[in-house]
Amino acid sequence: MLAYVVRRLLLMIPTLLGITLLVFMLLALAPGGIGAGLTASSGQVDGSKLALQQAYLEDRYGLKDPVLVQYGRWLARIAPIKFGTPDQITLAGEHKSKPRAIDAPPLPEWFPLSDAAIAARDAATLKRGVVAAINETEREDAQRAYRRLETDYVSSRAAYRALTKKLGDELIEYAIAQQISGVRTSHGDCRFDVIATTPAKRDASNWAAIEALATQIDAAYIRALKSYQLIDVAFAAKPFREAGVAIVPGVISIGSPDLGVAFSKGRPSSVLIASALPVTILLNVIAFPIIYLIAVPSGVLAAARRGKWFDILSGGLFVALWSIPVVWSGVLAVGYLASNQYVGAFPVAGLHDSLADSWTFLPSFRDDGAFERGYLLDLFWHICLPVACLVYTGFAILAKQTRAAMLDNYSADYVRTARAKGVDRGTVAVHHVFRNSLLPVITVFVTVFPATLAGSIVIERIFSVPGMGSLLLEAITNRDRELVLANTFMVACVNLLALLLADILYAAADPRVSYE
Amino acid sequence: MTSKRPELRVISGIDAMRGVGATEPKGFWADAWSRVLGRTGAIIALGWIGVIAFLAIFAPLLASGHPLVLTDTATGTRSWPLFDNLSASDLLLVIGAVVGVPWVSFPLRIARSTRLAALLIAGLQAGLTVVASVGVAEWFGSPARDLALRQASREAWFAWAASGGVALLFALAAMFVSPFASRAARLVQVLIVAALCVVCLSQRWTPALVDVDRYSELEASGAATAIYTLVPWSPTQGRTSLNLVPPGTRLADKLPAFEGTVPGERRFVMGTDNVGRDALSQMLHACRLSISIGIVSTGLAVLIGVSVGALMGYFGGKVDLIFFRVVEIFMAIPVLFLLIVAAGVLPRNTYVMMAIIGCVTWTGAARFTRAEFLKLRSQDFVQSARAAGLPLRSILFRHMLPNGVTPVLVDSSFAVAAAITFEATLSFLGLGPEGQPSWGQLLASATGATGLFNWWLAIFPGLAIFLTVLSYNVLGEALRDAIDPKLRKAAQ
Repeated sequence: MLAYVVRRLLLMIPTLLGITLLVFMLLALAPGGIGAGLTASSGQVDGSKLALQQAYLEDRYGLKDPVLVQYGRWLARIAPIKFGTPDQITLAGEHKSKPRAIDAPPLPEWFPLSDAAIAARDAATLKRGVVAAINETEREDAQRAYRRLETDYVSSRAAYRALTKKLGDELIEYAIAQQISGVRTSHGDCRFDVIATTPAKRDASNWAAIEALATQIDAAYIRALKSYQLIDVAFAAKPFREAGVAIVPGVISIGSPDLGVAFSKGRPSSVLIASALPVTILLNVIAFPIIYLIAVPSGVLAAARRGKWFDILSGGLFVALWSIPVVWSGVLAVGYLASNQYVGAFPVAGLHDSLADSWTFLPSFRDDGAFERGYLLDLFWHICLPVACLVYTGFAILAKQTRAAMLDNYSADYVRTARAKGVDRGTVAVHHVFRNSLLPVITVFVTVFPATLAGSIVIERIFSVPGMGSLLLEAITNRDRELVLANTFMVACVNLLALLLADILYAAADPRVSYE
Repeated sequence: MTSKRPELRVISGIDAMRGVGATEPKGFWADAWSRVLGRTGAIIALGWIGVIAFLAIFAPLLASGHPLVLTDTATGTRSWPLFDNLSASDLLLVIGAVVGVPWVSFPLRIARSTRLAALLIAGLQAGLTVVASVGVAEWFGSPARDLALRQASREAWFAWAASGGVALLFALAAMFVSPFASRAARLVQVLIVAALCVVCLSQRWTPALVDVDRYSELEASGAATAIYTLVPWSPTQGRTSLNLVPPGTRLADKLPAFEGTVPGERRFVMGTDNVGRDALSQMLHACRLSISIGIVSTGLAVLIGVSVGALMGYFGGKVDLIFFRVVEIFMAIPVLFLLIVAAGVLPRNTYVMMAIIGCVTWTGAARFTRAEFLKLRSQDFVQSARAAGLPLRSILFRHMLPNGVTPVLVDSSFAVAAAITFEATLSFLGLGPEGQPSWGQLLASATGATGLFNWWLAIFPGLAIFLTVLSYNVLGEALRDAIDPKLRKAAQ
């Protein structure tokens, strides 16, 4: 059994890879590519700021790389085995990885580095500045200092990259005037290596602009190098908790997956999911016993009274319920039962009353004798309607499957034998037939669970329940790539684990089934 | 009692050879079909689907803000704004339904006595193709044609005569010319005509934007009288001053300027949505989206699923292993999650929606086909087909598929129901096709930002979705019971 579970868990890995790759490709198919949401969210900002922002985003997420490379990078963050310097985790759960080094400015053949830049590159010169910075940070709170340095580093790096890009644009113009071909990459950027192979034409019309930019780049390079050196030392001082357990320190470590930062919210995806997933699981965990408690007995009863009114009525009713779209029942429930216009007996939105935090956990009477629902009862009161909308679609399949399995077994020889030797009808139904009909009932879980999980997306939207579904819809409307991927990944994990659980139950219910 | 006994008839050997008294055995599908039709529920379900299909085709004629006839009171001249403003796709659907369906389903061999009736039907069709007359006239009148044709096309009779004549010609061809004596040939013929129509009408693919409210103002001022079809509102025609009007409200109740005039008396039978568009008109037009998405996406899913499943089942081994991993990938996550991601990032139109629903839901068909083909591949007829050296295509699709497709076809009825639900759900979430009325979208405006619950926007579209989904599910149940011999035995 254990071997089987381990094998199934290992088989989950390629499946998870496949589903995340599929979603990644879908996001890449979107008009504007995978970074569309990022760059579109910048809103109304003036040109230079926009260029800065774009340079930062392209640099940080590697948006110009091929989709598969980007996916590989995402996978490397998800993978539990990490290489190189381990990340550090902030208190908010954000992963901070080792700051990336600054590339040298383009076209060294045309514009050699200034003395100051060479000096900045020189380690000995930098060390002195760094030591001064460290002394300063020791006086301050190390984390706050790290954040300040990080802001410096990010902005100087972005400025440097934005200038490089601007130089590239000028050079493309220059190349067109000089009739140099093949200087543009597929993204429309400049290929400096092609330009570098040609001699510089100082009489070109925009040469002055190019030269001015080169000087600016030199200055920006020095600034970026300095801030890099500072943050590198600050990172090495480990202001935050180190992620994972080191196997070979500094080379291989095992750590939790880094689900990235949801850029529409500026918070780590893992934190958002950690608060949303329990809600969705709670809904499903409450819904499932209800589905089974209602559908299985009605299936058993329908089989026992085959062709009688109960069989026909329950069959018809369940098919009708199965056909009611969740969106409709949800809207009706909100409109008629929750809205004050009609019954108004249930809360319209959310999981808790606004006062729930001040209440006790269990229901109680206050000092003045008034009844107080308490946190738990309030929660149940809030999820009453969502769960009601979630359960009814599952009845039909389960009841039908139970009935069919029961009917199959009713016509078996051992039932006739049992009846012949005088076992009463009820005992035959429960001990013989139902026991043997359990298997198909468990198998149905595989169909019902994903459907219920999907149903909870819509339910969460309608009842404003802050679960995985609401999170996914928000992420999709904001084109938040990290959050969509993280969400897909976690939902797939939950779904696959639930299916595995069904298989284990299958073996437990039937001693004939063994996975050895 | 005696009358109930079957009458014994003595027939001669020659009669027996002629087949006298023999009942033709029913085919598998004919048998299943007659069993399905034996159920009241299934007949009602079929009827409802038929109604929806009818509305899907004729919605532009039934619900439009353009009047059928507009008479100028001063000059007495008449115009036909409804036909003038049909879009090419509406036109094609109407022509296809009026002309194509009878052509294809026309009896293959006609007795001499029924020829007159056939001619009458053909004449009727020709008359009905006047719908196409505007397009035909425009095509003939385009600057590329010669002068005589262009002048002729300006005459009122020309368009009618031309389209009627073309229709009559094709109908006669279908009846008397032998190459059209098979259904397939006729289907091809109809498709060719459809393609020709597309070419002719592509110039007026999008009719000019007309302010529909102009008609009611003309009417109110007494400048013209208008005759409307069933619903006098277009699905896109909205005034913010008319938003969220409850069912049965007259136009004059909301816009007092129309009090005492003919258009002021017109009602919003099912109310309006949050931007003041008539709900009933949108409901009728939404039938098209619902029914086409259900059928097309399921067709696509079955196509992909059967092809993949056939390969998996036939080859087994490594092919099976690899493809089954792909199937598992799609099953790893609830379908709706994947649909939301795909619909959220891809362009919002009907075709993309059909494609994504089809491409995400094919795993069911693949698993069914795989299971059947695994059973079939060791059977003698498959072995002998292989031994005879038939090409793979022939073995898979000519010999094995007809024997293994039953579960997929039964399941596809449920799949259509599921696809309709998915479409409604996505539209409800605001991820549906843009610029197209849909039931889900209407349902979404039932609980607006104002917090008010507009019951008419919840009840009517929801009921429409529910009844359509229920019909497909009931039909699927009936089909499954009719085909599954085990269940049939259990039921007896």
